[in-house]
Amino acid sequence: MNTLHNISNQAELEQLINRYFDGETSIHEERELKQCLADCPWSSELIDEARFTMGYFVTHGKEQRATKKSHRRQIIGIAASIAIVMGIGATIFWQQNHVDNMCIAYVNGQTINDDDAVMAIVKKDMNNMAGASQIMIDQLSSLGEAIELDNK
Amino acid sequence: MKRITIIILTCLLTSMAAMAQKGLNINSLFDGRFKKSPTATEIIVTGQQAQEIGLTLYHSLSVTDKKDAELIESLVAKDGAQAVDKEVEYRNGKLYYGFYTMKQRNKYPNCYIFYLNQNLARKSPKNNVTLIYMESYAGPEDIKKLIRK
Repeated sequence: MNTLHNISNQAELEQLINRYFDGETSIHEERELKQCLADCPWSSELIDEARFTMGYFVTHGKEQRATKKSHRRQIIGIAASIAIVMGIGATIFWQQNHVDNMCIAYVNGQTINDDDAVMAIVKKDMNNMAGASQIMIDQLSSLGEAIELDNK
Repeated sequence: MKRITIIILTCLLTSMAAMAQKGLNINSLFDGRFKKSPTATEIIVTGQQAQEIGLTLYHSLSVTDKKDAELIESLVAKDGAQAVDKEVEYRNGKLYYGFYTMKQRNKYPNCYIFYLNQNLARKSPKNNVTLIYMESYAGPEDIKKLIRK
């Protein structure tokens, strides 16, 4: 476990606590003391008193860290969500754009990119459909004429 | 976080719904399998070229292979059953010609399916089955005029 203080034994800690209560510690030493009180397993009347007195600050610090972590998670979550939504949007946009300007034919395994050649095949297919459609219209028309003649 | 999850799910469902709009059976034929086929012709026209002929999408497939032809016919028949309007002609118990107007989707262009089995043509039959899928804001009568141009 990583320790953020240089206090190696109980006596050293008690000495630092006494100096703290006498107002002789530096800011750096105070930080070390708080850290040690939060981390170390030692216990004595003096140490417990110090824990009781300074415990608030240590707990408060942990709460702050927890809140910071929670905020960080939220920010990461929001950033990830935005990235996902943008990704989906970009994919849909790409798909639409990709399909939006196409004029291509695959004839017996050969790719034809020339617009005029492709449109010529389209025209031919449409003519074939029109021919079949016309046959149907002619049939209906002759059927109508036959019924009309029969009714005369 | 819950709100964000809901937004993401909404976006996903919307995009899935948009893709599912084209849920016709014949769309399974347009998965790219015929692009390299030596017995098929697949054409895709969108954008400006399609607009010039009054369409938003033109996608066709012509095949000479018998199995492919049968598959196309069965899928067209399935979609044809869902059509709101159709003109069909059967010859020898097989579908010769079909023009189907599919159910209109809100704000989306109309979808039309043309089918022609030239094997069943009386004059100069050809070993060729053609399927055309069209999307256009034009009505069915305009589409029929369009193919006769």
